[in-house]
Amino acid sequence: MKTSTYLRRYWQLYFLLILPLAYFAIFKYGPMYGVQIAFKDFNFFQGINGSEWIGWDGFREVFQNQDFYRTLRNTLMLNILDLIVSFPAPLILAIMLYEVKALWFKKLSQTILYIPHFISWVIIGGIVYQVFGTQSGFINNLWVSMGFQPIPFLTDPNYWLITYLLTGVWQSAGWGTILYLAALTGINKELYEAAEVDGATRMRRIWHITLPGLRPTIITLLIINLGNMVTIGFERPYVIGNVAVQEYSDVLSTFVYRIGLESGQYTLATVVGLFQAVVGLIFVLGANFAAKKTTGEGIL
Amino acid sequence: MKAYSGKKWMKGLTGTMLAVMLAGTTVLAGCSSSGSDAGATTADGKSVLKVEVFDRGNSPAGSTITNNYLTKLVNERFGAPNKIDVQYVPIPRSEELQKLNVLMASGGDVPDIVFTYDQGTFNRYAQQGGLTDLTDLLNQYGPNLKKFLGDETLAYGQLEGKQYAIPGKRSVLGKYASFIRQDWLDALKMPVPKTTDELYTTLKAFKEKDPGKVGSGIIPFGMTIEPAQSELLLWSFIKQPLTDEQKYTLSQKLGSRDYPILLPGFKDGLKFMNKLYNEGMLSRDFSLDKDKKQLGQDIQNGKTGFFSEDADNPFYAGSSYENLQKNDKNAVLTPIDVFTNNEGKHIKPEYAPNGLYIMIPKSSTKAVEAIKYLDWMASGTNVLDMQNGVEGENYTMKDGIPILKPDAPADVTNRIYNYGDMVIIANGKIVGTEEQNNEAYIAQIPEKYQADMRKSVEISNTETFPPINFNKPIDSEAKYGSALQDKYDQLVVKATMVSPDQFDATYDSLLKDYMSSGGQAILDERTKAFQEGAYTK
Repeated sequence: MKTSTYLRRYWQLYFLLILPLAYFAIFKYGPMYGVQIAFKDFNFFQGINGSEWIGWDGFREVFQNQDFYRTLRNTLMLNILDLIVSFPAPLILAIMLYEVKALWFKKLSQTILYIPHFISWVIIGGIVYQVFGTQSGFINNLWVSMGFQPIPFLTDPNYWLITYLLTGVWQSAGWGTILYLAALTGINKELYEAAEVDGATRMRRIWHITLPGLRPTIITLLIINLGNMVTIGFERPYVIGNVAVQEYSDVLSTFVYRIGLESGQYTLATVVGLFQAVVGLIFVLGANFAAKKTTGEGIL
Repeated sequence: MKAYSGKKWMKGLTGTMLAVMLAGTTVLAGCSSSGSDAGATTADGKSVLKVEVFDRGNSPAGSTITNNYLTKLVNERFGAPNKIDVQYVPIPRSEELQKLNVLMASGGDVPDIVFTYDQGTFNRYAQQGGLTDLTDLLNQYGPNLKKFLGDETLAYGQLEGKQYAIPGKRSVLGKYASFIRQDWLDALKMPVPKTTDELYTTLKAFKEKDPGKVGSGIIPFGMTIEPAQSELLLWSFIKQPLTDEQKYTLSQKLGSRDYPILLPGFKDGLKFMNKLYNEGMLSRDFSLDKDKKQLGQDIQNGKTGFFSEDADNPFYAGSSYENLQKNDKNAVLTPIDVFTNNEGKHIKPEYAPNGLYIMIPKSSTKAVEAIKYLDWMASGTNVLDMQNGVEGENYTMKDGIPILKPDAPADVTNRIYNYGDMVIIANGKIVGTEEQNNEAYIAQIPEKYQADMRKSVEISNTETFPPINFNKPIDSEAKYGSALQDKYDQLVVKATMVSPDQFDATYDSLLKDYMSSGGQAILDERTKAFQEGAYTK
């Protein structure tokens, strides 16, 4: 088929594509114009064009700032721990849900598992305080009434890490199962039947059929996750963190918030943003390369 | 290729998509055009003046933050005769600085009148050339405003001889008092503590004997990370007398407060907090209490024995004291003056005589109207009417002081629910002389608490010292201020919470972190400014 006839026949599909393309052009490519702020002594009363070029001075200042390294370290640490703790959770949940035979129970548990995803972090923060606080949290009240010392879930850095990670699992694991469950429907049922006839146990079937069937999805999600290693959401560490655990809870996003929006040093904030983008790109490409080498599958 | 069979469905969908896209483009177009000629005139030829207003999310039913009794009053009395439509732009109180930075950066959309309490931010805007020079405008259009504020207040808005901000006038300068549960003292047959040592003994007795029968949740000393709870304690440990040089160079101004972080004795203050914490006297989760919410709850639930606070805070209708007495009718809070320094004095910081820094962005084309608006507010009875409502309905005049009517119905009292955020040229009720202002300050408290309030205000005005002022901006404070505020909180929290044997190591490492994150730069700049004599005594 000639390209022009093809285009004419399916013009509606291309038309539909305009909206997402426009989205990327306006919200993802348009703002890149502002990247130059990283190389300018940005004064927002003069605008981007009116501000003077300062070359790499902004980068020098950021790379001399010890808070930058501390927040970078925390970002990587929280993300890596999150990857270890939170990444397998939806996978395991999805497999468990998939094995459930009673449809009503499956539907019900899925719904219950999704709900935390729709609660904003601000509210979760309030809940966390009410549950884990040492003086007013109900876990500690119970614990203390049994005659133990209160556990500083929120104010001791190491305990805080656990609270942070488990809250993350609670909030996102249910929602994360969706992609896996979708992928699971694509696995040929006959494989399971054949395995059952051959006498494979349930664990064997999961190991030899389900997991290999999910492999492309797992790899895709892993690569995306690795690409986000140096970026971290703002709300979770900001809301759950507090002054007492700032040595762990202060991350790049809260750092950018502080120097950018609070102190008005937009140049430095942009430098950090640009740094995150570049490192993120390296991570994605690296992970993709490694995945292609080892499993033959990648996303690019 | 099944999907293509449903042609009708596709047609319908493309139609919808087209509509959505068109709507999208109009919205976008709308955005870009409103930026350039924002609020020039309304349809009926009135000039539009946009004024920032803090939104605390407390608008009563029937009012909104942009449309209420006071906004109508402004538009009737000022707007109509001057052919100006005054519109209010709400900014959430808790994020004012962040939102203000974003608004200023947006250029065209910024209101014509903006404000902040943060001196560093004002300095930065002025130095970056973002503010209108008001010197001549004020002389030409603001005679009432000048008279109302006075030269001393106006000086706070000047940089290098030019008036870049109109500082609000603060009516009451006293800040803090401390409060103790009198009924607990009585139950223990103990006197009201008068010194820090006596306070410690009292707190210990509260903890051990639990006179309020609170149980394990007892909090002898209520603490938060807000300065109001720790400032009195910390300043009382600063070793007096200080030389001028120490005073000016060893404290640091972050936001709008002087912190005594490098002054001799500060470490001892923290050490005392550490001792209190480790002996179970302080609120255990005080590091989580950023807005005094937990403190308020603990007070009204009768768990807290002692705390320091803004002198007026516990006494308002619906505030912690009233709720405490609802929960326990025998509970009594007494204002006390307790923290003693090495000279035996109860020293306390006080406010600078200015409130908000009111600014007119350079991009505004309505500077004249803006000054006219502020001048109108300062003239006649406008401040009185906006702060107190209607005479005979909201208040009655007694000896020149408006006394709020305690039996006024809610819809009447609601008229002025946000007067503090609307009357930006004044911080607190301005009636006349300092004494009258103090009386008006007390008169706004429910009658049953006025005697206590009077005592508390008296304490807050006793042995106070004013904030420190250089007559040129300390740039590094504007630059590092908010980051250092975090570091300061961290220092206080961590040094308080560690076990006593780790106190020194923790203090040293956090102070080092503080200094290298900008503290040293501020110290150097202040030392230099002091040596140049650039300070006002």
